[in-house]
Amino acid sequence: MAGITRRLARGAGLLLSLSLMSCGGGDGGGLVPSPPVTVAPGPNVVAVLVDAGPVSTTNPTANTLYTTVTVCVPGSITECQTIDHIQVDTGSYGLRILAPVLTLSLPVAMASDGNSLVECTQFVDGYSWGPVALADIQVSDEIATSVPIQVIGASTFPTVPAACSSTGTTAEDTVAAFGANGILGIGVFEQDCGNGCAPPNSMNGFYYSCSAAACANIAAPLTTQVLNPVPLFAADNNGTILVLPSVAAPGATTVAGSLIFGIDTQTNNASGNQTVLNVDTIYGDFTTTFDSQTLTQSFLDSGTNGLYFNDTAFESSSACTDPNFLGFYCPAATHTFNATLTGVNNSAKSVTFSVDNAQTLATNNPTFTVFPTLAGTFSTSPNSFDWGLPFFYGRRVATAIENRATAVGTGPYVAF
Amino acid sequence: MGFKHFSLASAMLAAVLLPHVASAALGEPEATVTDDVQQLKGSVKSMQRSNYRVHEIQLPSGTVLREFAALDGTVFAVAWSGPAIPNLRQALGRYFDVYAAAAKVKHAGHRHLEVQQNDLVVQSSGHMRAFSGRAYLPQSLPAGTTVAELR
Repeated sequence: MAGITRRLARGAGLLLSLSLMSCGGGDGGGLVPSPPVTVAPGPNVVAVLVDAGPVSTTNPTANTLYTTVTVCVPGSITECQTIDHIQVDTGSYGLRILAPVLTLSLPVAMASDGNSLVECTQFVDGYSWGPVALADIQVSDEIATSVPIQVIGASTFPTVPAACSSTGTTAEDTVAAFGANGILGIGVFEQDCGNGCAPPNSMNGFYYSCSAAACANIAAPLTTQVLNPVPLFAADNNGTILVLPSVAAPGATTVAGSLIFGIDTQTNNASGNQTVLNVDTIYGDFTTTFDSQTLTQSFLDSGTNGLYFNDTAFESSSACTDPNFLGFYCPAATHTFNATLTGVNNSAKSVTFSVDNAQTLATNNPTFTVFPTLAGTFSTSPNSFDWGLPFFYGRRVATAIENRATAVGTGPYVAF
Repeated sequence: MGFKHFSLASAMLAAVLLPHVASAALGEPEATVTDDVQQLKGSVKSMQRSNYRVHEIQLPSGTVLREFAALDGTVFAVAWSGPAIPNLRQALGRYFDVYAAAAKVKHAGHRHLEVQQNDLVVQSSGHMRAFSGRAYLPQSLPAGTTVAELR
């Protein structure tokens, strides 16, 4: 999640270069995104947008998709709070809210030993420590009651266990560090950890039992883990559909779209002739065939800010060398690729995508937050292609929850 | 009884037997792999490759941590994959703080992180329930070893 400029702009050098560029224009005429694909409004539709994020001046984000969520104290219709700039993330599971944003006092969930249940959530760039709390969640008109969510950085549990802080380098416990007021994980799984954290697996590294004195590892039964709220909705609970308009390169200042709840449950969420790619039940992955490689741990992820893949030849010729753009691609000219996405059900669909120079994109377009041709290296896995938010531009992408049926299949699957 | 008689094997044995701070493996003698296994409560199996040894530690979280030791006994790389990121302070040892400082400067969002310095490269990727990464000492790679093997 969170983006090229979110992070890149944090480097003083880039901020300087961006501000120097801002009076010179260079945004290529300010391309306007195509009109959004039509989505019939309904009680199951919420607006989503890509913009510079909640800390837009000092920590602008890029290719980061947000929506607005209302949370309430369980059972209350008055003790509620509506929070904007909640990141929409198909690559994680469950709702997490940054404590400084939250004005409600939500009840903390209890671990199986009677102490407070606190979680260490791992992100590649840092860890988020905070209690599991219970809340009623409303998005559009969909409501899930008494859902375990995480309150990141809550002052009630200030001491982060060493085992937690040792998994990452940075505490992702402020809005600026996180790049959002919270994150709404709506991927294919129901729990954020699953059986790996359920009894008897107490040494899971995610869940802790915290007394006033100390925290210790503990197993968390499935229903007490932080939960994807979608399958808990009373209706429209078998998945989601993200609809974003296409955006021409180099990008746009902002883009708006829709998040639809349910698949084949209303007239506005029919599958039609979408290609269904079933994903595996461990990682939620499918296979991408690309550049003579068969990448069996590939995934669609609205929470990734670019397309990330290995291509040895392309990397040696086109990896960015500027320290501010390390890990991104900086080809001399636009490079177009073909790939085929194949589900574990052997259903397949081919796609074409283009990659532009990340440094040029950011430098020439200082007001943009939407970059459809942003891509980087996925050097750590020989088996992965991370289809981030650029994949979603111009598509209608369905995410079906594990074990939930739609008119065209049973989750976990993705379809587009 | 001079130092010249001190073989690698006995040095490793001494390192295992002597009380010491359980520092981690990257850049340390191969014997510290044992510390990692102990500290991380994992189980280990070791494999010989042509120009290095791989110690594969199965962690309770389900993640596999691999530590790569050159034939001179220095751990020059660690790599991991699985549902959780391992304890990197343990696995990166004295390089963790270097990594932490560098990673704070800038990176590419929550899903991909890359730190490249002359003496240390760390690459980490993944999404919830599926992570992978590696850290290596580029100046200590045994001859004939490619970065792509470090997985």
